[in-house]
Amino acid sequence: MGTTASQLRKDLLSEYQELTFLTKQEIILAHKRFSELLSKEDRNIPTPRVPMEKVLSLPELKSNPFRKRICHVFSTSDMKDGSLTFEDFLDLLSAFSDSATLEIKSHYAFRIFDFDDDGTLDGGDLEKLVNCLTGETDDTRLTTEEMRQLISNILEESDIDKDGTVNLSEFQHVISRSPDFVSSFKIVL
Amino acid sequence: MLLVNPHSGKGQALSLFTGHVQHMLNEAGVPHTLVITERQNHARELVREADLSQWGALVIMSGDGLLFEVVNGLMEREDWEEAIQTPLGILPGGSGNALAASIHHYSGAQPVSSEELLVSCGFLLCKGLVSRMDLASVHLGSSPSNPTRLFSFLSLAWGFVADVDVESEKYRHVGAARFTMGTLVRLASLRVYKGRLAYLPVDEAKNWEPMSANATLTGPPDSLLVPLDQPVPSDWVVVPEEDFVLMLAMYQSHLAKDLYAAPNSTLDDGLIHLIYVRAGISRTALLRLFLAMEKGTHLANNCPHLVYTRVRALRLEPYSPKGVITVDGEVVEYGPVQAQVHGGIATLVAPPAGYRPQSPRRLP
Repeated sequence: MGTTASQLRKDLLSEYQELTFLTKQEIILAHKRFSELLSKEDRNIPTPRVPMEKVLSLPELKSNPFRKRICHVFSTSDMKDGSLTFEDFLDLLSAFSDSATLEIKSHYAFRIFDFDDDGTLDGGDLEKLVNCLTGETDDTRLTTEEMRQLISNILEESDIDKDGTVNLSEFQHVISRSPDFVSSFKIVL
Repeated sequence: MLLVNPHSGKGQALSLFTGHVQHMLNEAGVPHTLVITERQNHARELVREADLSQWGALVIMSGDGLLFEVVNGLMEREDWEEAIQTPLGILPGGSGNALAASIHHYSGAQPVSSEELLVSCGFLLCKGLVSRMDLASVHLGSSPSNPTRLFSFLSLAWGFVADVDVESEKYRHVGAARFTMGTLVRLASLRVYKGRLAYLPVDEAKNWEPMSANATLTGPPDSLLVPLDQPVPSDWVVVPEEDFVLMLAMYQSHLAKDLYAAPNSTLDDGLIHLIYVRAGISRTALLRLFLAMEKGTHLANNCPHLVYTRVRALRLEPYSPKGVITVDGEVVEYGPVQAQVHGGIATLVAPPAGYRPQSPRRLP
């Protein structure tokens, strides 16, 4: 299917290896999977973007409850549409890879959970976070009272300066104690 | 003898003692000696060697971890049968105050804040009331010919709950809510834990008899258990499913101040309350379960994935290569594990059944 044009140049491959937590194999595989998502015309333009819906069709992302936020966080698009270039895609895979540090993962987790992108996790962000977990339909969601109870528990435990929101360092403090966090924050192709 | 772990409860244990408890004990005329533990297992060794005739009670002011050391230290003694009858007192001062919360609950009082819990437990201590308590004998089996045996007073957990216990222990928050941001993150990639679970159900018709002491190793014989490398006895029930989200075996009512996991349990009911959740439960239902556990209403929830049954002994053989098993909130060696209850062999400073406190907050 004329894939020679979409092979990764050796010097770029080395550069990507240096800049990310990914191995050579992982980068090559990522390139192959990314190219498959591109339409025929897009394959030959210099820095193509894959629209968000296409990214979301990847099996590794499809069942992730935060898939949309993940795309938004890693997208460098001026139009804020969640579309990804290959380098955005690599950044995403790098942060979610086996070798990424706790610091990196918790930093990105925070940004992903910060639905209104205002730099802190407030009640509204937490509510959206829980709703992502519980599902789209009314009957799977928590009731208002349950939500209130849950959010107040989380804030009680994580909001150290008691300002009603969880900032990055409070979040990282809480997450760093979770032995399972690193292994659950993973996407591997 | 009063044992305090200075690192417990965000380092607050000692100041909680001097701030609240010390003057209570002095006012009530209760002589006491404070021992500050220096390291892990210090308490265990101390208690193993101590001359117990000197002490009216051993009081732990810390989380459940220190009590775990004391109980096991006592059971390792040659004279364990008398030693374990030394009244044990617990004052909340650490992160895991499940037993203190359970005792407070059994006295019929309303759920309270951590400071009030401390005062109320201190009050019980001064009154010198005692009660019998169940212990469970837990066998861990990396080498079935020589299993490790521990004594447990609270719980055995595997799966989702075990993870939460382990994390929260590190938060060192007195009375903190046990499910949190970490729970939500792990809910996102909810795991299934594979294993084989079997148990000996309570036989209503039989009257429970206390164990007689003629063991070759110290401690009561575990007459209900067969070695871990042999199949379970024929009167045991083997759970058909092999995919679980969590398994929790409790012999007291509370897993934490706000995790009221076994509402029907009492101090010496001679029972293990077994709760397990089968795989297939939705995240919402699991969240609801934890929310309901705060108030103890989770058993009434009619969640089809939740099973509750009362047993005298159980065995778990995990199949997943990696995982966490906790006994009384402490991580233990991962592998096959079995346990049986020994009813009422320990003595606890706690109101006996039927006692109702008059006014725990006002001292004469």
